[in-house]
Amino acid sequence: MANLFPKRSNAVPLKLIIALLILGVSAVAAVTYYFTPKYTRVGYMPTQPVPYDHYLHVEQLGLDCRFCHSYVDQSAHANVPDAATCMNCHSQVKSDSPLLAEVRSSYESGEAIEWVRVHKMPDHVFFDHSVHVNRGVSCVECHGNVNEMVEVWHDQPLSMAFCLDCHRAPETGIRPMDQVYNLNWTPENAAEHAKWAEEAVVNWNVNPPQSCSGCHR
Amino acid sequence: MKTDLKQSPTEDNLPSGPAYWRSLDEWAEKPEFKNWLHREFPQGASESEGVNRRNFFKIMAASFAVAGLGAAGCRRPEHYILPYHKQPEGTIPGNPVFFSTSFPGAKDNLPLVVETHGHRPTHIEGNRDYAPYGGSISAFVSASILNLYDPDRMAASYRGSRRISRERVRDLINELVDTFGATGGQGLAILAEPSTSPTRARLVRQLKEKFPRMIWAEYSAVDQDNPERAAEEVFGARLRPHYSLAKAKRVLSLDADFVSSEPGSNAMARGFAQGRKVRNQADAGQMSRLYSVESNMTLTGSMADHRLRLSSSQITAFTALVAAKVIEATGGDAALARFLRDRASGLSIDQTWIDACVEDLLEHRGQSLVIAGSHLPKEAHVLSLFINRLLGAEGQTVRYLELPDHSAASITELASAIDSGRVESLVILGGNPVYNAPADLNWKQLQKQVSQVIRYGYYFDETSIDAHYSIAATHYLESWSDGRTFEGAYVPVQPMILPLFEGFQEIEILSRLADSDKHDTYDHVLETFRSEFGGSEAGFKKLLSEGFLAGSEYPPRSVEFGAGRVRSLLSRSSIAAAELNANALEVRLVPDSHSGDGSFNNNGWMQECPDPVTKLTWDNAIMISPAMAKHLGFDTKSGEFLIGGIAKTSSNFHRGSEISRVAELTIDGVTVTGPIHIQPGLADWTVVVSLGYGRRNVGRVGKGTGFDVYPLVKSDARAVRTGGRLSLTNREFKLANTQAHWSIEGRAILREGSASQHLEDSEWAQKMGMESHSPPIYGTDKDMPLHEKVLKTPRGGSAFDHPDFADPAPNVRVWNDPENRKKFIPDQQWGMSIDLNTCIGCNACVVACQSENNIPIVGKEQIMRGREMHWIRLDRYYSSGDVESNRNEIPSDPQVSLMPVGCLHCERAPCEQVCPVNATVHDSQGLNVMAYNRCVGTRYCANNCPYKVRRFNFFDYNKRSSDEFYKGPLGENLYKTEGGQLVSMQRNPNVTVRMRGVMEKCTYCVQRIQQARIAQKVKAKDSNDIHIPDGVLRVACQNACPTEAIVFGDVSNPESAVSKSKDNDRDYSLLGYLNTRPRTTYLARVRNPNPQMPDYERIRYPHTQREYKSVQPQPINGGHSAHH
Repeated sequence: MANLFPKRSNAVPLKLIIALLILGVSAVAAVTYYFTPKYTRVGYMPTQPVPYDHYLHVEQLGLDCRFCHSYVDQSAHANVPDAATCMNCHSQVKSDSPLLAEVRSSYESGEAIEWVRVHKMPDHVFFDHSVHVNRGVSCVECHGNVNEMVEVWHDQPLSMAFCLDCHRAPETGIRPMDQVYNLNWTPENAAEHAKWAEEAVVNWNVNPPQSCSGCHR
Repeated sequence: MKTDLKQSPTEDNLPSGPAYWRSLDEWAEKPEFKNWLHREFPQGASESEGVNRRNFFKIMAASFAVAGLGAAGCRRPEHYILPYHKQPEGTIPGNPVFFSTSFPGAKDNLPLVVETHGHRPTHIEGNRDYAPYGGSISAFVSASILNLYDPDRMAASYRGSRRISRERVRDLINELVDTFGATGGQGLAILAEPSTSPTRARLVRQLKEKFPRMIWAEYSAVDQDNPERAAEEVFGARLRPHYSLAKAKRVLSLDADFVSSEPGSNAMARGFAQGRKVRNQADAGQMSRLYSVESNMTLTGSMADHRLRLSSSQITAFTALVAAKVIEATGGDAALARFLRDRASGLSIDQTWIDACVEDLLEHRGQSLVIAGSHLPKEAHVLSLFINRLLGAEGQTVRYLELPDHSAASITELASAIDSGRVESLVILGGNPVYNAPADLNWKQLQKQVSQVIRYGYYFDETSIDAHYSIAATHYLESWSDGRTFEGAYVPVQPMILPLFEGFQEIEILSRLADSDKHDTYDHVLETFRSEFGGSEAGFKKLLSEGFLAGSEYPPRSVEFGAGRVRSLLSRSSIAAAELNANALEVRLVPDSHSGDGSFNNNGWMQECPDPVTKLTWDNAIMISPAMAKHLGFDTKSGEFLIGGIAKTSSNFHRGSEISRVAELTIDGVTVTGPIHIQPGLADWTVVVSLGYGRRNVGRVGKGTGFDVYPLVKSDARAVRTGGRLSLTNREFKLANTQAHWSIEGRAILREGSASQHLEDSEWAQKMGMESHSPPIYGTDKDMPLHEKVLKTPRGGSAFDHPDFADPAPNVRVWNDPENRKKFIPDQQWGMSIDLNTCIGCNACVVACQSENNIPIVGKEQIMRGREMHWIRLDRYYSSGDVESNRNEIPSDPQVSLMPVGCLHCERAPCEQVCPVNATVHDSQGLNVMAYNRCVGTRYCANNCPYKVRRFNFFDYNKRSSDEFYKGPLGENLYKTEGGQLVSMQRNPNVTVRMRGVMEKCTYCVQRIQQARIAQKVKAKDSNDIHIPDGVLRVACQNACPTEAIVFGDVSNPESAVSKSKDNDRDYSLLGYLNTRPRTTYLARVRNPNPQMPDYERIRYPHTQREYKSVQPQPINGGHSAHH
C-alpha cells in the first residue's frame, strides 16, 4: 500500500510547533506593546471645542499654570477654568475673535464648554493633584511640556507602573518648591540636584504610598 | 478541616452549649442550625447548577462574539469636562462643601452638618459644636438623606390624579384666601404636624389673626406630649421637664426608653454615657446606676443595672408606690402616701425592690432622677414630677424649661368639627392621617365629608389618594426654615440644593395662606431671626455658619408645688393597675425602629437596618413573651421550644429567614394579623407591636412590608391598650432576621463584670478568654500591656518576625541608607477602641457607615439568605446566667448585651493569608485594605475571617433592582433609569461603588484617612510635619455615635485619644487567643448592681460572666476562682 503521507509531512509537526511559537510570541509581544497605556494613551490629542493654545499663553504671554487651573494646589481635581476666567482678558483682547465664540456664548448663556478630557484615570483610582504640587512634584512629570503644546496631547502613559516608578524612587520626581510650576526648569548641575533631591526626600520625609490604599479606596 | 468553636478544647462531653446565643434556635442547637453556622455563605453559593459543557460553549461563543464587536470600538470614548461658566464663590471643584442645617422633629431639631459634593448632599453628620448633642445623630437622621433622592417622592402637584403646575397651586391657595377672607376663616381648617419652627409659629399667628375663626390643629402619630401636659396641669404653665443625665448618679426609668426613642434622646444618651465612663479603676466607684421598669425590651432596658419587667398599664400604680415610699422616707405627707398606696393596691410587686431602689435614689439626693416614658398617662408624670421634687432633683438633674406660647386644636377636636359639618376646606400639612390617625376617628370617612381637601405632602400616600389636591413638598435639605433643639437653642434649616422637583416649602404655603406681602422663605426666616432673636443679617450669616444660636435656649423656671396639688390632680382619675392575663393582654404600640410612625417606610436603609433588639428587617412582628408563647402552646421547655411557631422537629430557621406562625391580635373586635416573634425580656402579659408598617400606598421599597397596627390605636389610648386576645392561625410567614448570622458561639467574646469586681481587681477582663491562659501566643512578651502589644507586634521569642508596617518600603533607595533611615518618620498607625460600657446599640453607626461608604441594600429575599452588606453590625446577645437552664428553657428575664463589630483590622489578618490574588493586604498604616479591582471573588477571605465581617457582592446590588438580581445582565440597568440616577446622586464620590463578585468590608473610612493625610501633607509642604494631629480625622461611625463609644486614631501616638482609651484594664481583643492582633479592641462592659436589691445575688456578676465561668473546666493559673 502506498504511503498515505508523503515524506515531507514528517516536518509538519515541527513546522506547526514553530508556527505556533511564532504566533504565540508575536501575540504576547503585540499585547504588551499595543494593549498598554504607553500605546493606547500616549499621543492622544483630541480636537478641543476652543483652540486654546498653551504655547501662546504660557510661553509667549507668561501665564502661570495656576492662573487658569486655579485650584490645582487645593483640590484633588485640577480644575479647567470657567468661561469667566477666559473673559477676564478676552473681554478686552480679541473680544470678537470667531475662535472665542464658544467662550463668549458659554459666558452669556451659562452652557458649559465641552472640553474633551485628555487625561483620564480609571474610576477606581483616586489621584490627588494638590498633594503632588505641594510636595515638589511638577506638572511636567505627568503632563509633559504642556507649555509647548499648541494642542494638548497625552504625554505620559499614566499607568500604575508609571505611578509606582516614581513612588518607589521619589528623589527622581521632586524639585525645589518654587520651580514646580516652571515647566522649563532643568537642574543646572544634575549631580548636585540628585544630592539635593535625596536630602529633600529625607528632610521632607517624602514617603509616597506604595500600598493599595494610597490610590484605591 | 473541622471547625471547633468550643471554648474548652478538650472535652466533648462537657457542657458544650453556647453561653450566649443569638437566636433562640441556635440556643436549641438544632442540627440544621449547626450545619448552617459552619458555612458562611450558605445558599447556592458554591454549587453552580446546570453548568455543563454545552452551556459553557454557548456562553463562551457569545462572549467571543461580543469581544469581536468590541474590538472595532476599542478607541477610548470621548469624555468631556464641563467647567462652570462663572464659578460660584466658595466652591472648589473636587472639594466637598459643608452646610449647617437641622433635622426637623416634632420637639427637637437636631443640628447637622451636611456634606455636599458638586452641590449634591451626600452625607449627614451632627454639628459637633452644639455641646448637648456633641455631633450625635440617629439612624433616622442619617437615613433621611435617602428620602431626598427617593424616586417615589412626589415630583409634582396633582389635582386628583392629574398633574398641575406650580402656578395652579399658587392660584389654588389664593382662591382659598379669597374665599375665607370674607368669612374670617369660618369653614377653613388646617391640620399640621407639630413643629419647633419659630417662623412657622409666627406665620400661624398671622394666619390666625387673618382668619380668626379658622381651626388650626396639630397631630403627631406618636404622641409624646404627656410630660408637658402633666407639667401644665401641675404648674399651670407650658413647661418642659429637661433631664441632665450627666449629673445623675442614680436613675429610675419608668418605661422610658430615654436612650433612643424619647424626645431629646441624643442629649440624654450622651449624658447617661458620661456617667458610665470608666477610664480607670476608681471610676467604677463613681459610675451611675440605672434602674429600669419596663414592659417592652428596649435599649434602655438593656443598659439597665436592675431591670424589672412590668406591664405599662401597671407602671402608673408602680410609680404611685415609689412615690409613697419616697414620701415616707423623706418624712412627707403621710396621708398622701397612704392615699397613693390605697390607689395603687392590686399591684402585686416585690416591695423590697422599691424600698431598696428608693433608698438608693435618696442616698444620692440631688443626683438622682426619675424619668417616666412619654406614653405613660399624665398621672404617672405628675407623680414623677413630685418624686423628682422630693429627691431634690429640681435645678440639679431636672430643669423646667419655659416653652413659648402655642396653641393648637387636637385632631379629635378637628374631627368633631368635621363631623358637625363646620369644615368646608381642609388643608393637611404633612402627616398622613388617613393611615395613622386613631382608628376610632375613622379619618378616611371624615375626610370624604369635607368638600375640599388639600394635602401638602412628600409622598403620594393614603391621605393624598383621598384628597382633591396634592401639593408636593420639598425635602428639608431643599427648604428654608428654622427650629429649636430640645433645650430650645435656635437652629436654622438651610437648603443646600435647589428643589429637585416641583415641590413647595411649608413656609411658602403658610406665607401664601397668611397672604403676607412677600413669599421668599429666606426672608421669612431672616425676619423671625430679627424680630424674635434680635439678630441682624450679618448675625444670620453667622448663625448659618455656626449652625445654632448660642444662649437662645428656653429659660429654666423654678417651680413650686406641694402634696396637695398632687392629691387633687390624682383624685379625679384612676391609677389602679390593670388586670392582665393570657386572655386579657396588654398591647404596647410603639414606633417602629425601621419606619418610625410610617414616614420612613419607603427608606431602604432603615428597612434593612436590623432592629436593635429583635434583629428583624423589612417587617414588623407581634412580639410576645416566653410565658405567652408557652400559653399559646409553644412548648418552651425541654428543647422543644419554638420561634415563630414551628416545632424544633421541623425546621424553622433557614439561614436568615425565620419561619414564623401568623397570629391574630384582637382588641374590642378589631383584629390585626401578623407573624409572631418570641421576645425574651417582655413583661409576661404584654404584647408589643410596632406602628409604621402595612402601608397601603407607598413606594417601591415599602410595598408589601409588615402589617398595619394603627387600627388598634384609639384617640384616648394611643400607646397602651388592654384587653387583647391572641390566637394562632395555621399560616406561616417568613421574617428576615439577621440575628442568627455569623454567630460566634459563646465564650468570652463579650466580657462583662460588675463595678464592685472592678474595684477589687481591675484586671478581670484580661483573665477571661482562652488567651488569658495560653502564654505561647505572646511568649516572652506576655506581660506587655495590650495597647502596647497592639502597637509593637511583639515577637515574643518566636522565630517568625512580623514585619513592621511602619518601616519604609525596602525598594526605596533613599530610605535604605542607614543615616537617612534614622530621620524616617513612620506612617501613623490607625486603630479603634469601642467601649461596650457605653454602646447603647442605637444603630446610628450602621446607617452612617452605609451613607458614607456607598453600601447597597439587598432586599428582604437576600437578607433571608444571610447576605446583608452592612460593614458594621450590632451583635445582640441574651444571657440568663445558667448555661444548663438555657438549654432547657427560654429565659423570660435575660440580660441583653450589645456589641458592634466591623472589620477589626487584624495585624495578622487570616483573610490576607488565603487570598490567592493579593486583593486583601496590609498597608503601611496598619490597615487591612481591600483592592476591589484585584478581587476575583473566591470568598476564601470571608471563610477564613473569624469575625465574619466580610461582605460579598453576590449580585450587582447597586445596578439592579432587588427583584431582578437573578436576571443578571438581562435585567434593567438602574444606572440608566431616572430613578437609579437619582439614587446615585447620594453616592460618596470618594468611595468606589462595588460591583458584582467583589468582596468588601469596613475600611476604617480609608477615604477620610487619605484625605486627611493629603491635607496634612499639603500643609506640610517642604517640612516633615506630616502627621495628622489627633482628633482631626474622625470616621463616620465615630461621628454618629451619641455616646462616644467609638474612638479612632493613631495608636502609635501614646498621647492620642485612642491610645488613652486602650490604656485601660478593661481593654481586650475579640477572640484574642487566635493571635490575630486586631487593631480594633473592646473595653469590657461594667454593670453596676446594687447590693441592697432583692435580685442582687442573681446578678451580682453579670450573667455572661457567670455563664463563661460555668463552662470553664477548672480554674487555670488560679486566675478565675477568686471571683466566684
